[in-house]
Amino acid sequence: MNIIPSLQTTGDALNAERIRMDVIAQNIANAQTTRDVNGKAYQRKVVSFAAVMSQATKDLRGLNGAQNNAQTGQSGLKTVRVSGITADTSPGERIYNPAHPDSDKNGYVSMPNVKMAQEMVDLITSSRAYEANLTVAKTGKAMADSALRFARDL
Amino acid sequence: MAKKLLDAAAIRHEAYASNIANVETPGYKRVDLDVNFDTQLKGAVRKHDLQALNSLSPTIAEDKAATAVRPDGNTVILEKELMLDNKNGVEYDFLTQYLSTNLQQLQAAMKTSGS
Repeated sequence: MNIIPSLQTTGDALNAERIRMDVIAQNIANAQTTRDVNGKAYQRKVVSFAAVMSQATKDLRGLNGAQNNAQTGQSGLKTVRVSGITADTSPGERIYNPAHPDSDKNGYVSMPNVKMAQEMVDLITSSRAYEANLTVAKTGKAMADSALRFARDL
Repeated sequence: MAKKLLDAAAIRHEAYASNIANVETPGYKRVDLDVNFDTQLKGAVRKHDLQALNSLSPTIAEDKAATAVRPDGNTVILEKELMLDNKNGVEYDFLTQYLSTNLQQLQAAMKTSGS
């Protein structure tokens, strides 16, 4: 067990949320990009999360070679990782603007399918989740602190 | 017994950390300290069964009582987890202080008998 419990799980979660925030920032930055690297309008990217068995659980199980273990139980501890960043293929708005260099032969421009309100809501959710994980890290640190203080007092 | 409770609090913190980390993972089921631990601990203390108390170890299990309130099947409620984690931290604090006081009393007793 680590000195500060849960540090790995919380670290992984912070990392995953940070990636999600990066992708949201990318979506917002490209909200008006009509020409992506493939020449088409930018498609918003979506981050998906997956739960994975934590290294601590794997280590504990590896020692005993068992499916379930005194400390981890049957379900074990799960940390989180980004399972993939996929493009949202829903069509974007088409705006009539013949003067635009990326307009098609009818004068319509395909705009990215980024919706500002949706991205903002995702950003808030993500930053709240980030904060929540930081709180857990703080609690873990306080617990380790009190355990160490207890040893020092004697 | 305080040692067992301390172990349980540390494990519980890991469980809550795992839950909060997976608050956005679709289909994730929240985990918590195995509910049997409480009843077994109570039973062992009531019967003054030291052996049962020593062999008792806290484990993590999926919380079957939790129901999904979201369409993605995730059973974590963030606010609840944070409150539980805070409460658990205070409990841990209390237990370390309790143990420390106990040991200090022992130390004091040993000092007086020695002089």
